[in-house]
Amino acid sequence: MNMPIAWLTLRQLLGAKRTLLLVAAALLPITLAIVFRLTDPDVEPARFIAQTLLGRLVVGTMLPLAALVVGTAALGSEIEDGTAVYLLSKPLPRRVILLPKLAVCAGLTLAMMLVVTVVAGAIAAGGEEDGAAVILGFAVAVAAGSVVYSALFVLLSVYTTRAFISGLIYVFLWEQVVTRIFTGTRILSVRQYTIAVADGVAHVSSSVFDGNLDTWKAVVMMVVVTIAATYFAIRRLERFEIGETA
Amino acid sequence: MSERQSASGNIYDLGYRRYEGVRLGRRHAVVTLYLHSLRAAFGLGRPATAKIVPFGLAILALIPATIQLGIAAVASDIVELYSHSGYYSYVQWIIALFVAAVAPELVGRDQRSRTLTLYFSRSLLRVDYAIAKVAALTTALFVLTLLPQFVLFLGRAFAQDDLVGYARDNWRDLPPIIASGVLLCFFMASIAIAIASQTKRRAFATGGVLAYFAISLAMAGILLATLGGDTGGWALLLSGFHIAQGFTLWIFNIEPSSSETSSTYDLYQAGLSLWVYCVAALVYLAVCLGIIYRRYQGISA
Repeated sequence: MNMPIAWLTLRQLLGAKRTLLLVAAALLPITLAIVFRLTDPDVEPARFIAQTLLGRLVVGTMLPLAALVVGTAALGSEIEDGTAVYLLSKPLPRRVILLPKLAVCAGLTLAMMLVVTVVAGAIAAGGEEDGAAVILGFAVAVAAGSVVYSALFVLLSVYTTRAFISGLIYVFLWEQVVTRIFTGTRILSVRQYTIAVADGVAHVSSSVFDGNLDTWKAVVMMVVVTIAATYFAIRRLERFEIGETA
Repeated sequence: MSERQSASGNIYDLGYRRYEGVRLGRRHAVVTLYLHSLRAAFGLGRPATAKIVPFGLAILALIPATIQLGIAAVASDIVELYSHSGYYSYVQWIIALFVAAVAPELVGRDQRSRTLTLYFSRSLLRVDYAIAKVAALTTALFVLTLLPQFVLFLGRAFAQDDLVGYARDNWRDLPPIIASGVLLCFFMASIAIAIASQTKRRAFATGGVLAYFAISLAMAGILLATLGGDTGGWALLLSGFHIAQGFTLWIFNIEPSSSETSSTYDLYQAGLSLWVYCVAALVYLAVCLGIIYRRYQGISA
């Protein structure tokens, strides 16, 4: 792990306005959880947390958006701005440049989403038994999902200058629309892996919530996707010629 | 001319000449910028990579209508697969992705490369620039809304034995199709430009536009679920997609379906009168156009 590159990436990401916007966005689920607690809806809290608050808002929308913003910013915006030259011309193997960047992206996304998941979940659950299991399940799932999404979006950002819109198309057309219509495509959706892991860890009755995939399948796919994405990102960066787009 | 010839040899006469051709004026400038922006929306005149996203999304938006057309060819008795009023529910994400991808191209590129100075030093007013951009994005969206609706109309007409008879019986569908399509395009385009014009960074602009639609959709759904029909219903007015759905139904004069699997179930649960969504859309439009106007009055060229 090359610490200077890791620190550099972290400073880049935290300095940017986009991270502040993400933190502001992260307050939304927490606000909704407070609204949920204050009003007294007839929905069971564990069910609400699993299906709506964490399942739909956090895993379905915020996690991919956060990973996308962070993942495409770490390397993609350096390539776009032309500052990648200074990094890539250092006598370092390209994987030594890519891996710390990927680690920082995954770590940052993970940290943000984990806080959101636990805080919003805890507020909405209010000490209910099933609630704690669901929150634990989602905490593990969100951590795993952050890594997979980050690897995927870092890969996108080294392959194309339009990584951001490509990532959005993947998240909002593929994961939200296509997998709902064609259920067979669920095996190719990071969102479904995340939900399946949450289901596997939480171990609650399927009336509360239920993943669409088997947990072991989801775990295998997550590992495969992460390794493959990282491998191809390194390979692409190794073949990246300075001056090509920068 | 004769004067300049007599001054031949004077190296200080740089031969500055006034433009004496026709001055096409402000209106021509607006129309030209509009046409240029319309081309830019689809990446025409730009490299092939710039065309992939807009054309790809436009084709995707056509797929459900094409399926209907294909079914009309094979099995002519199944007619009701996609309805005109429900079509936008299928393609709303595609439309949102399109505006999120294209609006930053239209308004961000000029800010990034500092070409606004050049525009504003011409007869084009600042407000003209904004009008041309919103109009261009609205028109570009017609390809994703009115074109599929037209294909769908054909698909439903071909499914009938009597094509002319179908057209004669159903021409009344056309005004609401066109009205809802135009309003939807204008609505989406204004929101997208209002957000995208705030920043010159493409990623921020694209992310901002999409984050608005995605997060407000999820928020509205959750607030509706927690607060229940009476107060929670008003939460749908936060969400662009719900508003669009609401005014489309209002224009078609259809009530939202009470079946739980239907895409309009949220509207049914909310129980607001449908005209409210139309008013909300007009308020959004006014606010967004106001934001765009202010942005371009104040932007440093």
